[in-house]
Amino acid sequence: MNFKKPLTYALVSLSIVSVPLLSACGKEEKKEVTHSSSSSNSMKAQVNELQKTLKQLQSNLEKKDAKLTSEDGKKLNKQWLSYENNIREKYPLLYTDTEKYLLPLYSETTKDSIAWSKVQDLSASLSRSLDNLKNAKENAHQTSTELKEAVKNYKEYVNEQVNAFIGATKTFTDAVRSANMDQAKEAYGKARVFYERIEPIAESLGDLDPKIDARENDVEGKWTGFHRIEKALWKEHTLKGMTPIANQLDQDVKDLHAKIKKVKLDPATIVAGSQELLNEAALTKVTGEEERYSRIDLVDLTSNVEGSQAVYHAVLPVLTTKNKDLAKQLDTEFNKMTELLAKYKKQGAFKDYKKLSKEEVRELSNQLKTLSESMSQTAEIFQ
Amino acid sequence: MTENKNKNKEEQGTVSRRDMLKMSLVAGAGVAIGASGLGAVASMTNVFADTSKTTSSAEGEDEIVPFYGAHQAGIITPQQTYAYVGAFDLTISTKKEVIELLKKWTALAASMSTGKAATRAPNDLLPPVDTGEAEDLPPARLTMTFGFGPTFFSKKGVDRFGIKNKAPKHLQDIPAMPKDHLQEPFVGGDVVIQVCAEDQQVAFHAIRNFIRTSVGKAELKWMQSGFISGAPGKTPRNLFGFKDGTANASPKDSKAHDASIWALDGEPSWMQGGSYMAFRKIKMFLEIWDRSSLKDQEDTFGRKKDSGAPYGKLKEHDPVNSFDMPATSHTALAKSTGKPIYRRAYSYTDGVDEKTGYVNAGLMFISYQKNPSTQFLPMLKVLAKSDKLNEYTQHIGSAMFAIPRGIKKGEYVGQALFQ
Repeated sequence: MNFKKPLTYALVSLSIVSVPLLSACGKEEKKEVTHSSSSSNSMKAQVNELQKTLKQLQSNLEKKDAKLTSEDGKKLNKQWLSYENNIREKYPLLYTDTEKYLLPLYSETTKDSIAWSKVQDLSASLSRSLDNLKNAKENAHQTSTELKEAVKNYKEYVNEQVNAFIGATKTFTDAVRSANMDQAKEAYGKARVFYERIEPIAESLGDLDPKIDARENDVEGKWTGFHRIEKALWKEHTLKGMTPIANQLDQDVKDLHAKIKKVKLDPATIVAGSQELLNEAALTKVTGEEERYSRIDLVDLTSNVEGSQAVYHAVLPVLTTKNKDLAKQLDTEFNKMTELLAKYKKQGAFKDYKKLSKEEVRELSNQLKTLSESMSQTAEIFQ
Repeated sequence: MTENKNKNKEEQGTVSRRDMLKMSLVAGAGVAIGASGLGAVASMTNVFADTSKTTSSAEGEDEIVPFYGAHQAGIITPQQTYAYVGAFDLTISTKKEVIELLKKWTALAASMSTGKAATRAPNDLLPPVDTGEAEDLPPARLTMTFGFGPTFFSKKGVDRFGIKNKAPKHLQDIPAMPKDHLQEPFVGGDVVIQVCAEDQQVAFHAIRNFIRTSVGKAELKWMQSGFISGAPGKTPRNLFGFKDGTANASPKDSKAHDASIWALDGEPSWMQGGSYMAFRKIKMFLEIWDRSSLKDQEDTFGRKKDSGAPYGKLKEHDPVNSFDMPATSHTALAKSTGKPIYRRAYSYTDGVDEKTGYVNAGLMFISYQKNPSTQFLPMLKVLAKSDKLNEYTQHIGSAMFAIPRGIKKGEYVGQALFQ
């Protein structure tokens, strides 16, 4: 059988991009697959073989030849199965980094109708992972139980957020459906919080993000989601015609929930996500471009920062081991940012973005910049 | 000393800036180089007349790019280091006045391209004819490229200059794109002049004098400066540190130029041998980019940062296989639309963003193509929609211009359009 780890495969086949990386599930039974040579030379040769197969797969991909692509996918998986123990022991992090692209790639190529661009993305990433693997110094990437723990903790955080998001969205859409403007306005900001905390994950899940969170000129087709209703509430001053949008939003949020529940995260992805959250804050929140009508940009900004901080908390044990000063520095910067934002919160509500002075916006931007700069160094934990 | 040669130069009323520089060296500190000193210096030009062409510098500062030719200069001309692009809105209302302005600009351009200073004013109670800051500078491969926007032919439905029926086939405003953040004044314009040179001061001098001579006839709608620099023989890099223009046809590949740059069949005669210029001012979030991992940066472009090689390949000019790179990477998407354009982009910096304190900087994207509707617009549409790069950029300016064919000696820019 070419199939490995039935459990993993089942998950992958549900078209979730990521794959369990740090979970050791199902690995034990393959201990019997051993290899005579474990020198780095033999691994290089193995990676060469994988690269050859991948290259071939990519050329068949170009021709959109489903049959040959599928054969190459199978071959790739077979090779990986016979090499992986050798690789996993010595290069655990690089191993997971390779497997997270290889498995879904293989899975996609077994489908009757192959999603070509998905295979394309995965093969490009896999190609890079294989390069890294080939050039790896032995034990250069040491994974740790701490990182595994970090991912687990963060995943719990994400689940909490997305659960709360469903409820808060429902409160909002109920108010919209009953045409209660005041309630809807209040519920709007409360729902946004949960989404803004986990935005990068939502963005990685295909077209759900634009459906839920697009601003007016972000999309070509039909404009739906929060910002459509935001415009109705604060600009058009009527909820007429918004019921279908509210219903759709409920559905999209449910879909998001289902997808997120199945998503498997890995350390590199969550660290990149924490940076992305701060980028979002810097690009659209601190500039007041996100919440054009409700002007609750500070709510979103705060939520982005909180979401980023959740990753920081999750990786803190590893970060402290690897770079104590950076851990401390980040702690300081997050505190400063939180304090600064707190200045604009009165009785549970944030100041209207357009009431902020130029100097206040600049101060927020500067602190965010400092924090982001430190955060971008967090990938040090992978050294 | 040959008096005759001297006289000729004086009669022409012009003198090469490079000659001026040399004269000043010989004549010593006592000779003023400003317009008022021109006459005194002019009598010595012949001494150096024969040497000026043999002098050359590594950057081609002494080189003259011919202003006249089958195509306008500044398109397939190897890219100079500095650029100023200015778009004008005409304030005049008759064809006659437009012709006068174009004649004036053509004469000015022809003279500036050879590094010549304009005639001095008849007396010193008048302001100098030339603004003067380029007088002792070399020609610096100065090129000036003229183009006409859609509003030149018809503004708000009005055929202002009676030339609407001669409008080129594919000229139109670039349609609104997803995620556009266009900011006036960087949208459209009746006439564009793209000025490029190896010396920034020479370039600015040129655009400045076009502006100056247009007073009362046209107003400057927007102006953008830019720079681009690369090691000799290497593709220059943009401010994200990636090579920009790799896919361009070689400047000598005239077959490729006919296939993708020069407008030919079906165009009005004044446009045959011309081209279409697409302009986009693209803000780049440098600070955000600089905090992104190398992997993200390379995935965004679909190329390796150091070598410029497309994913799956080793060298910059190796053929791109889009299937080796992420589907929404910049290179894969640009290639997916299949038709090449000729890029001639410059980087820009505009001080500090007042709001965020970030550096205002980006790319003055310029491309030339024979048919924007099949080459440029489909590409822009795909990129605006899905390009990974959009996370780090914002399109804030947009315009399209028809670039008339090259100018023959004795003609003015776009002359065939008015006959």
